[in-house]
Amino acid sequence: MTRLRSPNLLPMLVVALVVVALYYPLMLLANVPVAQRALESGAALECKTALACASQLRSPVLPSPQQLLQGFRNLTFPLTAPTSILPNAWATAGNTLLGLLLATVVGFFFAIGIVASRAFERSLLPWVVASQTVPVIALAPMLVVVLGQYGVQGALPKAIIAAFVAFFPITIGVAKGLRSPDPLALDLMKTYNATQSQTYLKLRFPASVPYLFTAFKVAVTAALIGAIVAEISTVGFQQGLGRMLFENSRASDVVSIWVIMISSAILGILLVALVGWVERRVTPWRR
Amino acid sequence: MTESQVKAKSTPTGSLVSVQNVSMVFATGTVALKEANLEIGAGEFISLIGPSGCGKTTLLRLLADLIQPTSGAIRIGGKTPEEARKSRAYGYVFQAPTLMEWRTVLQNVMLPLEVMNFPAHERRPRAEKMLGLVGLEKFARSYPWQLSGGMQQRVSIARALAFDPQLLFMDEPFGALDEITRENLNLELLRLWRETGKTIIFVTHSIPEAVFLSTRIVVMTPRPGKIETVIPVDLPQPRDFETRETPQFFEIATQVREALRKGHGFEVQE
Repeated sequence: MTRLRSPNLLPMLVVALVVVALYYPLMLLANVPVAQRALESGAALECKTALACASQLRSPVLPSPQQLLQGFRNLTFPLTAPTSILPNAWATAGNTLLGLLLATVVGFFFAIGIVASRAFERSLLPWVVASQTVPVIALAPMLVVVLGQYGVQGALPKAIIAAFVAFFPITIGVAKGLRSPDPLALDLMKTYNATQSQTYLKLRFPASVPYLFTAFKVAVTAALIGAIVAEISTVGFQQGLGRMLFENSRASDVVSIWVIMISSAILGILLVALVGWVERRVTPWRR
Repeated sequence: MTESQVKAKSTPTGSLVSVQNVSMVFATGTVALKEANLEIGAGEFISLIGPSGCGKTTLLRLLADLIQPTSGAIRIGGKTPEEARKSRAYGYVFQAPTLMEWRTVLQNVMLPLEVMNFPAHERRPRAEKMLGLVGLEKFARSYPWQLSGGMQQRVSIARALAFDPQLLFMDEPFGALDEITRENLNLELLRLWRETGKTIIFVTHSIPEAVFLSTRIVVMTPRPGKIETVIPVDLPQPRDFETRETPQFFEIATQVREALRKGHGFEVQE
């Protein structure tokens, strides 16, 4: 694992450095006119020039790195406060992974159907594709209301919405994986007079594992977006990055929104890394 | 799975495998095999040789019930190919090793035993014994990708022998290997054949390989695929590397070459 991580770290840091280097002048450029107007309007500011004020605006167009750092500090400590990032990110991660689990179950169901039956593929696949064109941002509030009507609350409705956007890549990936065995390998099973279920158990399922994990990497980010959108749509006090996003955007706290946005991105990276880690654990035969 | 089920019995005529007027026409209209007749006795080592498109793989797949003939009758130990397949009368070694990459070498050899519901305690010793037979006991815990092509093909032979079928079908098993590895594996295969007493039907397009291995060579020619002639190989057993140097060896190789030429087997290289 160290073998994989250490060579990745340096290029990643270089990219981060370049982004920050580009970001800083861009931030000044965007904020200076606003700072200028604020100075002209005679607002009580602690800075003298527009350039100095550009990195200290309360509602900046783009927050300065200092402001972002301060924002991270504010939203991180105390670590376990309900308004802190950690418990909210934890809740979102939980919703996402639960959604991924549901998506996997549904994905396998559809994938087996597609591989086993032409009729199933022809009749259902178009609808599965169509389902993915429904904007999740529109679907989420409606589903939350409908599910709430039947007493489905807490993490489950969010997981269902996450699963809704995540099951598609899993279906396609697993279907491809189930079809991946060499025709000779299928012949081999036939020479053993293997039953259909033995062929699935001993050949098709294991062969689809690498495809499953590739699909997971796509699906987990999709599920994360689904979970966050679902959290935004959920009424009542609930935890989650989506909920934080909603609260802070209502309070027009630009810096916090940026901080939460970056946090979700980091959560996304961590979830993909988690998938990669699990993959290496369960496929020791690779590499 | 009892021994009697696994081992197919000889037909009253004395042949283990009987092919009578078998033709195979594919849906595309291609005549892959035309009126083939062949009797194979228990314990023989038969090579099917010919250029691409001569129907040698088709014949093997027909015997294995992987495809069904358009006409004619096949009997394996008095059974139809389907019955023979269902009673697990044969092991099949393909052109590619077709090992499961997620299984270790030992687990790969255990695969047929799992599928055939051998008692759990029997699987490991049986698989280990087979690995010993092909000289790979040290690699039991390796994964297939850690092995060379020749070693992988030896694993696939061990796997085909694991459930002790009387018949072994081999479809160009060494076709993808280099000449040196191939000659070594030929020698090893002959030893295996002597030690186990299996009946082997072996597809190849190498004349020296066919002459070296076989008790009889079935020469096949294309368009339409048919059996041109059957050439007995009376080279003494056990054969070794020196066998390849004997005049008798060259004589038989020439016979095979001429039979191939007679059926225009040399013109076609698709």
